[in-house]
Amino acid sequence: MARRGFKKYMDKRSPATFKIQITSMVDMFVILLVFLLKSYSTSPVQLSPGKDMTLPVSTSVKDPVDVLKLQVSKNAIFVEDKKIVDLKDGQVDVKDVDQNDTQFIRTLYTELDGQANKSRTIASKNEEVEFDGKVILQADRNLPYELLKKVMYTSMMAGYSDVKIAVLSKD
Amino acid sequence: MRRTFGARVEDSTFELNLAPMLDIIVSIVPMLLMSIAFVHVTVVDTPVPQAVDKAMAAANDKKDQVQILLAVSKETGFRFTVNDKGQTHDVNVPLNGKDLDLVALHKQTIELKKQYPDVFRVELNPEEKVPLNEIVATMDSLRTIQGSEAKVTFHDVDSGKSIETNLVFPDVVFGNVAGG
Repeated sequence: MARRGFKKYMDKRSPATFKIQITSMVDMFVILLVFLLKSYSTSPVQLSPGKDMTLPVSTSVKDPVDVLKLQVSKNAIFVEDKKIVDLKDGQVDVKDVDQNDTQFIRTLYTELDGQANKSRTIASKNEEVEFDGKVILQADRNLPYELLKKVMYTSMMAGYSDVKIAVLSKD
Repeated sequence: MRRTFGARVEDSTFELNLAPMLDIIVSIVPMLLMSIAFVHVTVVDTPVPQAVDKAMAAANDKKDQVQILLAVSKETGFRFTVNDKGQTHDVNVPLNGKDLDLVALHKQTIELKKQYPDVFRVELNPEEKVPLNEIVATMDSLRTIQGSEAKVTFHDVDSGKSIETNLVFPDVVFGNVAGG
């Protein structure tokens, strides 16, 4: 009689093994998956502006192309992530500027000219590659046109006349 | 023999095995997290449809082409200078308080486009103090129509038909860079 009572008790008790309820976890993951798929970037070129740089906002929707990257922050000018010119309060130091032409940044020109020569050498040996003088300019939104004009003028002198300004998409 | 209702209900329900589905999702999520772009960076270069591209090329070939220049100043605002076959006239868009009036600029841009539907280029001449974000906003105002505005009509050089587009002056160039 007592044994039958114990068996009844054991049957009523929850089993030793249990199943985790994962339905809500799957729900959560599906929502996360949809969000990530929506913000998944299909562009082959990824531009990541520096931490002290805020790009201007535009309605443009054109994806960037894989060309030379020129960054102008409040503190320095970079060519392909390599610091070339130091800036003080958004101004180029006098030693970096040509004395006869105040728009011409000599150190930047030397670097860009080197990059252009490298691209031209590759283009002369590989028919599929063409040097088209395109450059993507990533510049801080608050920088004055005075500085950008100098950068664009210098890059134009080095052969990079097709300047594309990187912006944050409004979408 | 007695049949119980509860037993019948238990037979018809089943538990879906979600574990393999969870495995797949857990594998995909890190991959997507690696390639996610929280900020979408684009470049200012409005895509030009083929018909517009041809019309632009045809317009650039004309020697007596109308020239439109836009000066941007933080002190006086915008000033369009239109050079039409040697005749030059200015159109001013004053400041709105202390800021550049982009809404008025856009209205004036649409008016100019109605007058010169075959012109696609504007030469931008900002003053040295103008910051980049205001230059980009000016370029946006010049390039495309906004929201529910009526589309711009121009004549296709190949078919001779009127074509509607949302591009106003898609070819915006900096006019004062080369001058040093």
